[in-house]
Amino acid sequence: MAAGFKTAEPLEYHRSFLKENCRPDGRVLSEFRTTTLNIGSISTADGSALVKVGSTTVICGIKAELANPAVETPGKGYIVPNVDLPPLCSSRFRPGPPGEQAQAASQFIADVIESSEVIDTEDLCIERGKLCWVLYCDIICLDYDGNILDACVIALLAALKNTKLPEVTVNTETSTPEVNVEKRSLLHIHKHPVAASFCVFDDSILIVDPTDEEEKLSTAQLTVVTDEEGQLCSVHKPGGTSLSGEKLQECISRATARQREIQKLIDKVIKSIKTAK
Amino acid sequence: MPTDTKRLRGPDVSKSPSLYFSKPPATVASHGPRADGRQRDQVDIRPIFVRCGLVSQAKGSAYIEAGNTKLMCCAYGPRETERKDETDMKCGRLITDMRFAPFSCPERTSWIQGTQDRDLSLMLQESLQPAICLHKYPRSQIEVNVMVLENNGSVLAHAITCASLALADAGIEMYDLVLGCSMRQDGASYVVDPSYIEESSCSSDRENQGCLTVAFLPSLNQISGLQSDGEMTEATLTTGVRTCIEGCYKLYPVIQQALASTVRKAAPPPSES
Amino acid sequence: MSPMKLCVPGDKLCSVEDCSPGTGVYLRHGYIYSSLAGYVLRKKEGEELPVISVVRETETQLLPDVGTIVTCKVTSINPRYAKVHILYVGSTPLKDRFRGTIRKEDVRATEKDKVETYKSFRPGDIVLAKVISLGDVQSNYLLTTAENELGVVVAHSEAGAQMVPISWCEMQCPQTHTKEFRKVARVQPEFLQA
Repeated sequence: MAAGFKTAEPLEYHRSFLKENCRPDGRVLSEFRTTTLNIGSISTADGSALVKVGSTTVICGIKAELANPAVETPGKGYIVPNVDLPPLCSSRFRPGPPGEQAQAASQFIADVIESSEVIDTEDLCIERGKLCWVLYCDIICLDYDGNILDACVIALLAALKNTKLPEVTVNTETSTPEVNVEKRSLLHIHKHPVAASFCVFDDSILIVDPTDEEEKLSTAQLTVVTDEEGQLCSVHKPGGTSLSGEKLQECISRATARQREIQKLIDKVIKSIKTAK
Repeated sequence: MPTDTKRLRGPDVSKSPSLYFSKPPATVASHGPRADGRQRDQVDIRPIFVRCGLVSQAKGSAYIEAGNTKLMCCAYGPRETERKDETDMKCGRLITDMRFAPFSCPERTSWIQGTQDRDLSLMLQESLQPAICLHKYPRSQIEVNVMVLENNGSVLAHAITCASLALADAGIEMYDLVLGCSMRQDGASYVVDPSYIEESSCSSDRENQGCLTVAFLPSLNQISGLQSDGEMTEATLTTGVRTCIEGCYKLYPVIQQALASTVRKAAPPPSES
Repeated sequence: MSPMKLCVPGDKLCSVEDCSPGTGVYLRHGYIYSSLAGYVLRKKEGEELPVISVVRETETQLLPDVGTIVTCKVTSINPRYAKVHILYVGSTPLKDRFRGTIRKEDVRATEKDKVETYKSFRPGDIVLAKVISLGDVQSNYLLTTAENELGVVVAHSEAGAQMVPISWCEMQCPQTHTKEFRKVARVQPEFLQA
């Protein structure tokens, strides 16, 4: 009857676990799911990464294109992140234009990029006022089991670290760009922002890395983004019940710990790719 | 050009750096061995890697990798039909959606579905429909979603195979599996399971140029879908179909094995009581 | 015992002369073929032909059918009918939601004209019901609770506590001792054990 209890009274089902300080999947309250990373698996993209946090799977592919810089920012390039939640990843998403959640996620990623200064957009300028790079960072969720924001940020960061841009020079006579594919160089990553998401259960219990079920039943959600210097890049709490200052502090310190774990993971994977070559 | 207000947009115009390559791109030779070392004029398909049941949220899912072509497919349902006006009391409906990730092709593609995606979705639906026992699912719908993660040719053929695997993994009753195979005719010679470059390039403006994709039910020995582009002679087309069927038979044992191992992994055999 | 045979859709299993078809198989030109990926199961009963079926780890895709008992959750009520989500078909959970309707006249078998839906169900109640029709183009599955064994099995009072049935039409809240009206199902012994 356990399965019956779960479908009929999901909230009671989760409460019965939380009372014992554990969760239906066997984790303790402050435990993240196993995170795995695969970098550079898509050869048609300039940079790519596949991230799995538990069952949640997200893939990020980066395509670089050339464009004219905007008139108001002649010395800067563009980074255009988009998050897609296709009907493939969960039965709750419908085909067609992105829904509210996907739009909110895209905007969140864009905000993280801007506030964390992961990449200096001036690095993307090739010739001031004439030519710059556009980095299209397309993030697709392949399996939706909660906490996609964390997975998206990891995927984006790992894909950016994997991105290699060809050398471009502007021909002075014809003023057309010339691309040298042979000579590719890595992007300069200034900061390593990593997100950690939390859910508030019954207005008081705080759990880390929520699954889809837990997200649906929670009373509030919170995402904290920190970089390697422990600086806060973003705190995202879309509505829900209030949270005490102490609890918030707790979240932030957990997020900084998570940042270190993930950065170690990314470095390890990149290193393993290099040695494999 | 419709503007997309629901996504973050970059600059109005941006161009792929491949337009400005200082060196001309390598052309495909029309004779001799192929770029990846496979044989021309032979049923030489790329080795494939398949896995079922990767997506936790879907009823059934499959991932297929053939060379650098990588696709993922999820099957959902049977569930209540959304469009009540088309509810069929006797028979279920099959809905297909095939999409390309924006980074899947050498040139970045837009998020907005083009006519190509819709054509492929329709072709996929027509190829799968005859194989599914839709009469067992009255007033419900079965959804098949395909995401192309990397396109290195023969996308439709692999999408068909992948989708039928996902449906089988979902436990949807089917008369048979559906396997897909494609070939590219280039003058007198042909290549089976073409790569992206082989698909799009043409050695010269000779006659008898075309692409052919066949969806095949291996056990019933029936063709459920056939798409042919280009201009080919009748004789070429009939031998082409035969070649593709041969290609499907080469895939069959791999697919059977993949499904069997998924079933085995999911549960030990039930007791024979 | 030899390892059980695995099959995929389209595999030819045997001739109709050797076995009679069970579930997960179909007939074509005098042969039995598999329509699922799963284990081949042969069951022999008496002198008749053994029944051949294909079984999977999870129950095959069950859809609510006429005559089956379903477990559902009430989502909304109005004077004419109650709307429900079907959660289970028999003992198999459904992964996707199917909606059903219990009309006022199908709530109980007697005194149908005196039924008030508000005194029979409340949103959130877990109800056992039987499918009487697949409905037509406009309507959902039509369900009935007009049997002693059918009706509300789990309900919460206004205070939020799970109520205890005290008669076939009333339940009581253990905290506040207030009585509320429901079309209560006679609890079957097998459910008590679970």
